Amino acid sequence: MSRIGVFICHCGENISRTVDVERVAAQVAKLPGVAFSTDYKYMCSDPGQNLLKKTIQEQKLSHIVVAACSPRMHEKTFRKAVEAAGLNPFLCEMANIREHCSWVHEDKQEATLKAIEIVGMMVERVKKNRVLPTITVPVTKRALIIGGGIAGIQAALDIADCGHEVILVEREPSIGGHMAQLSETFPTLDCSQCIMTPKMVDVINHPKIKLYSYSEIELVEGYIGNFQVTIRRKARSVIEDKCTGCGVCMEKCPVKKIPNKFDCNLGMRPAIYVPFPQAVPNTPVIDRENCIKFKTGKCGLCQKVCGPGAVDYEQEDTLIVEAVGAIVVATGFDLYNITEKPKGSPIKGYGEFGHGKIPDVIDGMTFERLASASGPTGGKILRPSDGKEPKQIVFIQCIGSRAREKGISYCSKVCCMYTAKHTMLYHHKVHDGQAYVFFMDARTPGKSYDEFWRRSIEEEEAVYIRGMVSRLYQKGDKIVVMGSDIAVGVQVEIEADMVVLATAVQPQKGAELLAQKLGISYDKYNFYSEAHAKLRPVECATAGIYLAGACQGPKDIPETVSQASAAAAKVMTLLSKDKLEREPIVARVKESTCVGCFACKKVCAYGAVEEKEIRDRQGNLIKVVAYVNPGVCGGCGTCQATCPSKSVELDGYTDEQIVAMIEAL
Amino acid sequence: MTQAIDTTIYAAVSEAIQGEAQRILSAGEVTAIVGYATARRKGSAQPIVITNADDAQKLIFTPACVNNLAVYLTKAKKEIPKQGKIGIVVKGCDLKALAGLMGESQLKREQLYLIGVPCAGVLASTIQPDTQLTADTIAPKCTECDAHLPQGCDFVPAQTPVTPELEKKYAAEIARLEALTPKERWAYWKEQFSKCIKCYACRQVCPFCFCEQCLCDRNKPQMVDTTPRPAGNTAWHIVRAMHLAGRCAGCAECERVCPMDIPLNLLNRKMAKELKELYDYEAGFQVNENGPLNSYTEKDDQSFIK
Repeated sequence: MSRIGVFICHCGENISRTVDVERVAAQVAKLPGVAFSTDYKYMCSDPGQNLLKKTIQEQKLSHIVVAACSPRMHEKTFRKAVEAAGLNPFLCEMANIREHCSWVHEDKQEATLKAIEIVGMMVERVKKNRVLPTITVPVTKRALIIGGGIAGIQAALDIADCGHEVILVEREPSIGGHMAQLSETFPTLDCSQCIMTPKMVDVINHPKIKLYSYSEIELVEGYIGNFQVTIRRKARSVIEDKCTGCGVCMEKCPVKKIPNKFDCNLGMRPAIYVPFPQAVPNTPVIDRENCIKFKTGKCGLCQKVCGPGAVDYEQEDTLIVEAVGAIVVATGFDLYNITEKPKGSPIKGYGEFGHGKIPDVIDGMTFERLASASGPTGGKILRPSDGKEPKQIVFIQCIGSRAREKGISYCSKVCCMYTAKHTMLYHHKVHDGQAYVFFMDARTPGKSYDEFWRRSIEEEEAVYIRGMVSRLYQKGDKIVVMGSDIAVGVQVEIEADMVVLATAVQPQKGAELLAQKLGISYDKYNFYSEAHAKLRPVECATAGIYLAGACQGPKDIPETVSQASAAAAKVMTLLSKDKLEREPIVARVKESTCVGCFACKKVCAYGAVEEKEIRDRQGNLIKVVAYVNPGVCGGCGTCQATCPSKSVELDGYTDEQIVAMIEAL
Repeated sequence: MTQAIDTTIYAAVSEAIQGEAQRILSAGEVTAIVGYATARRKGSAQPIVITNADDAQKLIFTPACVNNLAVYLTKAKKEIPKQGKIGIVVKGCDLKALAGLMGESQLKREQLYLIGVPCAGVLASTIQPDTQLTADTIAPKCTECDAHLPQGCDFVPAQTPVTPELEKKYAAEIARLEALTPKERWAYWKEQFSKCIKCYACRQVCPFCFCEQCLCDRNKPQMVDTTPRPAGNTAWHIVRAMHLAGRCAGCAECERVCPMDIPLNLLNRKMAKELKELYDYEAGFQVNENGPLNSYTEKDDQSFIK
């Protein structure tokens, strides 16, 4: 016979204001099986939990119902307390009389009756609860980082410094990401390369970090603590172990005029190349689309001149499998491109800006390359069209961002600050030039940020015009910028030599495909979703997968680095354990009635259902049934709903429990 | 004068089946064959399992060969020996059921030897077995048949059935019911279900009811009221219709065996129509491992979410 204890929480006044908690306690005391019931001001407080523990022992309680808030809030708290008192934690259930009752009703009489019903249901349910043993799974003490930008680098170094092995996978031939492309960084104007390259070198030299550059994630299997990740190492055509990085191949390559993506296509590179001189690894890659050897079969010059014999035209993509316990996704961002309307996207293009047909209308990243000392112009601000120095330059903010009518409603967060920085860099390099900025609002929260922005106006003479630009068009060698100044209420027309658009920060192309491989969720813009916006900001809802940097949403460098270290801390917490405990809310197959139709296997999102052969003592096959791997099962219950013969049950949510609840009504 | 349907090929078809059965049994290609044989009443037929080549001449095909023999191969019924390759005589409609069972891991193609039947139609369950097949006496399912010649079989007799266009009986009835108000329609089904005596003949004959323990036979907790009362009857028929959605290929055996004449296949056809409209899915000769209701694609129609 069960001896159920029921504890009704007032939640301060949150519940007791609308629910007569004493009456609920008195009523449920009469239910068969209830040995004890009481009410208390704050059940989750220390004295409340102690009351629970003390009563379990004094009253020899067998099952517990805590009627309080949502189980999402405090189920763990109370199950822990119950466990401390010597009961199996899964013999404790919560009745939600706050979110489901007191918060949504006004009539105290009615709400009290409803609360009695809710508690009554949980009393019937808890009677059918079984003792569930905690499931432990081993932890592979290695981490995978996807993306070698500043987020991935920071996370990799933090985790590796803690002593765990790290696999860092980067899609491009070099790590460094967008930060390596920047000239100077706000709000201190220190050189991006100067602070970035030492970290890149740290990565390649770290004994605990295994770097796979020019590689992509092919397949992710497994679950928290036990992922198996298949990585595609794209054919580099240069053997990394042999290459010394001398660079002779690049000098001798007869194809020289290939626009370099790293320089926003302003600079040129050969067909065998490293994207930039400080690349890590400093191993070239052959761009097979433009290489004469791959196009015609002739040439082969790079192979001839390579002393160590590192050039290998026969190289093929290879697949390698790595076992890891945790994954950090740090795939970063891409900039919105005004030249065309993105395919299959609700985002509308910028026809009024000439759809990218005006050569001296560039985006913020292109300006960074122009301003960078290692960039295609050696740090001189020159127009892409004719190489002249622009004397009048117009910056336009919020291109794509905060433009619901264009399809993106979010703020890209970094543009206000980098535009202010651009006006300064421009002023430092073109002393007689004038910078104008069209802006909607200046958003500068952050340490020393607003001071930085003020400086661009007060000391660096940028003219800020509050208003948007309606049209850009080429007139001779000038670009006519037609906008409005809403502060004064007049139309403004500026004849500019160059226009810089602060285009929206978007997730990397194909971000959704990676999310599907990883089984993590993403929003309508394909930014990855965190488990909780406030309380779990670096964790995915999928256990064992963490987020760092702009793949989750627009972020600047300080914020990205903080989040990367936070994700690293979460990974280190996970990897510090030898075994992982997980909730035993998993599906179980009743083998005697399972007919092996495997509908459960088809619907399982976790790949937890396997086929199991049942044999007699002579080894003859009797039948094949479904088997749920408890380590992999996510406890979603889809199999339970799908099984035609009701042969799968989710522990803690069995049909018996649910029907008992319904019948209690 | 009602339109007669030509069944003269059935004699030649029967002969061809016998010849093939004789061959595969003597060659040891199969251990048993499930087919049809003459029954006691004049013109009637019944299922038979033969394991001996000498019995091959017992096999026939006539307009009275109504049964879907696929049911004998399911786990729930366990009529046929488990070991070895089994031969089975199938009409197009029965073959669709076999394809469904293969998709649901109940049968393996390589364990079957399929003897397909070119079929012009069979008699309705209400008609005496030795009656001439006409537009009036033909089984309603045959008026909508798109599977007169089974595909993908190991052996099919060479004859081609003559299949005149007939009035589609289920489509007409569905259209009539769809034109009713929800209240009238509910009244119609309530009356139909009230006739049910819970004999579960529909379940026993259905090839897709292959569970060894039906959820309706469970009592802990009891999912469906077992006594023939309105609530339990409705629950049972709804469970049945839902479990068959996207699987039932319309052999109409449930309707044939129902002693209370509940139009069970009508419900199945309506579900099939819904599946066709929502997911562009039809149960056919193709073996589909992912039925429409246990798979998800982004192209799925979501207009029902309002």
